[in-house]
Amino acid sequence: MKRQEVTYRTPETAVEGERSVQRMSSNGSVTTIQLGSVDQADRPQVHLLPCEIEQDGPAEVSCYFTCAVKDRKHEMSVSFRGRGLKGQEVSCPHGYTGLVLKEDHKPTTDQEDRTVRVSSIFSRFTYWNLETPPNSDDVVVMAMAWPELAKAIHGSVDD
Amino acid sequence: MDLSEFEADNTVSCRLSSAIPDVCRTEDCCLGIDEAGRGPVLGPMVYGICFCPISKKDDLKGLKVADSKTLSEAERENLFHKLDEAKSFVGWALQVLSPNTISTSMLQRAKYNLNALSHDAAISLVQYALDCGVQLKELFVDTVGPAEKYQEKLSQRFPGVVVTVRPKADSLFPIVSAASICAKVARDHAVKSWKFLEDLGDMDADYGSGYPNDPKTKSWLLKYLDPVFGYPQFVRFSWSTAQTLLDSKAVPVHWDDDEEDGEKAAARKNCASMLSYFGRGKSQSTARETHRFFSERRLKTLDTL
Amino acid sequence: MTTKKKRSSNTQNDRWVVIAPDSVADTSKTDNNDPAFVRLRNPATGEASLYLFSSGDSELYEVKAFDEDYHSWFVGQTVQRDGRLLYITPMDPMYLLLPYLIKVGKEGKFQPVQQVVMDEDFPACTRLLSCSRTQASLHHVAEEKEVGSQRFHRYNQEKTMQWLQKKVDKTVKALKMRNISVGGGVKSTTYIRMKQESDIQEEDYLRYAHGLISEYISEDLSKELLNVLGLPEISSPKELEPPSKKRKLSDKPVEAGEDYTKFNSADFIRKPPKKMTAAQKSLAKVDKTGMKTMSSFFSPKVKTENN
Repeated sequence: MKRQEVTYRTPETAVEGERSVQRMSSNGSVTTIQLGSVDQADRPQVHLLPCEIEQDGPAEVSCYFTCAVKDRKHEMSVSFRGRGLKGQEVSCPHGYTGLVLKEDHKPTTDQEDRTVRVSSIFSRFTYWNLETPPNSDDVVVMAMAWPELAKAIHGSVDD
Repeated sequence: MDLSEFEADNTVSCRLSSAIPDVCRTEDCCLGIDEAGRGPVLGPMVYGICFCPISKKDDLKGLKVADSKTLSEAERENLFHKLDEAKSFVGWALQVLSPNTISTSMLQRAKYNLNALSHDAAISLVQYALDCGVQLKELFVDTVGPAEKYQEKLSQRFPGVVVTVRPKADSLFPIVSAASICAKVARDHAVKSWKFLEDLGDMDADYGSGYPNDPKTKSWLLKYLDPVFGYPQFVRFSWSTAQTLLDSKAVPVHWDDDEEDGEKAAARKNCASMLSYFGRGKSQSTARETHRFFSERRLKTLDTL
Repeated sequence: MTTKKKRSSNTQNDRWVVIAPDSVADTSKTDNNDPAFVRLRNPATGEASLYLFSSGDSELYEVKAFDEDYHSWFVGQTVQRDGRLLYITPMDPMYLLLPYLIKVGKEGKFQPVQQVVMDEDFPACTRLLSCSRTQASLHHVAEEKEVGSQRFHRYNQEKTMQWLQKKVDKTVKALKMRNISVGGGVKSTTYIRMKQESDIQEEDYLRYAHGLISEYISEDLSKELLNVLGLPEISSPKELEPPSKKRKLSDKPVEAGEDYTKFNSADFIRKPPKKMTAAQKSLAKVDKTGMKTMSSFFSPKVKTENN
C-alpha cells in the first residue's frame, strides 16, 4: 500500500496540512484477514448473551452453561448468574458464514497495517433474552434481514 | 424419602407427595404447613403440608412429633418413618423450590420476593390437598411475614377453612410439627445428595449447613467461585452473601435493568436510540440521520475494526 | 444488596464476531487473495467508514455492526465482552465513486477515471477501480468516450437518476418480499387525503427505499432523487416544533404515543405492549427539547408545513 505524501505546504496551511497527514495515514492503514488461517479455525458453539460480561478470554462455558441448557418444546432455557434466560438458535443468512476474527498482535500506532486471522467458523448461534421468550421481533432476528436487503441496494441493475 | 423426581431435574420446582389416606376424604381434617431451608444460601427451600382427620389429632400426638429444629437429623428421619407408617390416617405433600427457581424468581425483572414465593408454594400445596378430596376444615401455619395479613390472605383464598397463622406454630401444633419434619427431611436429603448439573469434577461436598454464617459454607463459597459464571445452580444467587462475594471476586456483569427496573432501562435504551436517530451524538458534520431500517435494527456503520 | 459496579469502558478489543458472505473466506478459489479492511470516504457523510476488498480488490463489501447495548459472546470455551455482530455485505462501488465523478464532472470534461478517483485522505480509493463492478457500471452514471484504447467519462446526472431509480425499484421489491414494515414514516397530510390507501402504502415503500438508498448518496442527490420519484419533500422534524408546542406535549407525552399506536398500529401488532409503554415513557423522560422533536415526528395529526 503506497501512501501519498503531502508535498506542498504554505506556512498558512501548515497546521491544516499536519492534520491531514495524520488523518491520511490512519485512514491509509489496512487490516488484512489471513485466509491461510481458515483451515485451523475451530467450529465452536456460539452464544449471544443479554448482558455485558467484563471479561475477554477463557471461560468454563461447557461446565457451567452449555450443560445446563434445556431444550424443550422449541424453547431453550438456562440461567446465568442467577437470572433466567430464554434462547433460540438462529442460522446465518443464506450464503453467509459466521467468522470470529482474532488479532494476535495489536499495533502500537493507528498508522500501522494490521492482520487478523480467522480463529473460528460457525453457521448458527444461540441468542438469549433475559426472561422474554424469543420471537421474530427480537432485534437480532430483524437484523438478519440486512444481507438480503443489501443485495437489493447494492446489486447490479439492468440497462 | 424418595426424591428421585426432584433429582431428575433439580433446576426446577417439584411436588412430592404421599398417597392420600382414604379417611381424609371422608372425615373433617386439619392440615399443617411449614417450611425448611428458608435461610441457607445453598440448596432448595422445601414447603411441606401434613394432614390427618381432626379425630386423629391425639394419635398424631402419640407419635411424639415435635418441632423439627429441636430434633437431631437421626430423630427426624425416625419420625418421618413413623409418619410414613401412619399412612392410614396421615398424608403429606411437599413443594421443593430449587435454588435456581429461588434465584431467578428473586432476581426477575418484575421482582418476586421470597415471601410471595413462600405464600404461593403454601397455597398451591393446600389447593393440591383440596383437589385430592381432603376434607379440610382447619389450617395451621407458621408465620411468613406479618401473621394477620397472611391469615387474612389464606382465609380469603380458602373459605370455609379455619385458618390459624401463629409464630412458632411448629412447636404448638403437632400437625405443623409433622409438616416441618417432612419438609426438613426432604431438604436434608436434597442437599446431601445434590447432583450438580455442572461438570465440576470431584466436588467437595463439605458445604456445612448452608447458612451464610457457617464457616464451612463460607469457605466452600470461596472455593467454588468461578470468575465468569459465579456459582453452580446449587447456590442461591439472590442471597446477599453470594452477591457480595461475586461483587468482590467475580468479573462484573451488567444487565439492562441494573439499578433500575426493566422498563426504565428499556425506556433509556429506547430514548438513546431515538436520539441517535436524529443524529445526536454524531459529529457535527454528519448531521444526517441514520435511516430507521438501521436504527431499529441497531445497525451502525463502522470507521475502524 | 450491594451497589453495582459501574461499567468500565471496553478499549482492548482483539476479537470480532462477523457474518460474511461465503465467498469472502472461500479458500478453494486459488486466486483469492487475503481480504483487507480499508477506510474509504463514506459517500453520504464524507467521513471515514470501514469497507472490505476481497478477491484481489475485485469485490467490495461494506461493514456494519449490529450493536445492542448489554451484550457479550460465548465462543466455544471463551467469553468475549464485545457483543457486537459485524455484518460484511456486498457494496456497489459506484456509490463510493459517485462523489469523485460528480466533483470533477462540474468541470464538464471527459476524463479517464484514474485521474478522477484520487483522494489524499483516503488513498485506498484507487482500489475501487479494480472492482469488477466498476468498469461494467460506469455507463450508468456517466457518458463514455473511447479514444484508442483509452476510455474517458463524464458524469451525467440524468443517467445517475435513472440508475438510482432502478435501485429504488429493486429495493422496494426486496422490502415487499421480506415483508419489512415500512409504515409510520412522516407523510404529507395533503397527500394522504388525496390518495387511496393502496397508494399510501406504495408511497411508504418508495419513501422507505429512498431512505435506504440515501444512506449511500449525498444529500443533494437524495433530494434530487426524491423529486424524480415524485415524492413531496417533508419538512424536517425541527420545522414541526411550533404545532407540537401547542399540544402541550411536555405535560402529557403519552398522547403522542397513543397517536403513534393508532397511526401505525399495523407495525406494532406483533410487538408486546410493554415495548410501547417503554417508548411512551422515554418520551416522558427525555429532556424537553428533544421531546418535542420526537413527538412531532410521530404525530400524524400535526399539520405539516410543506414547502
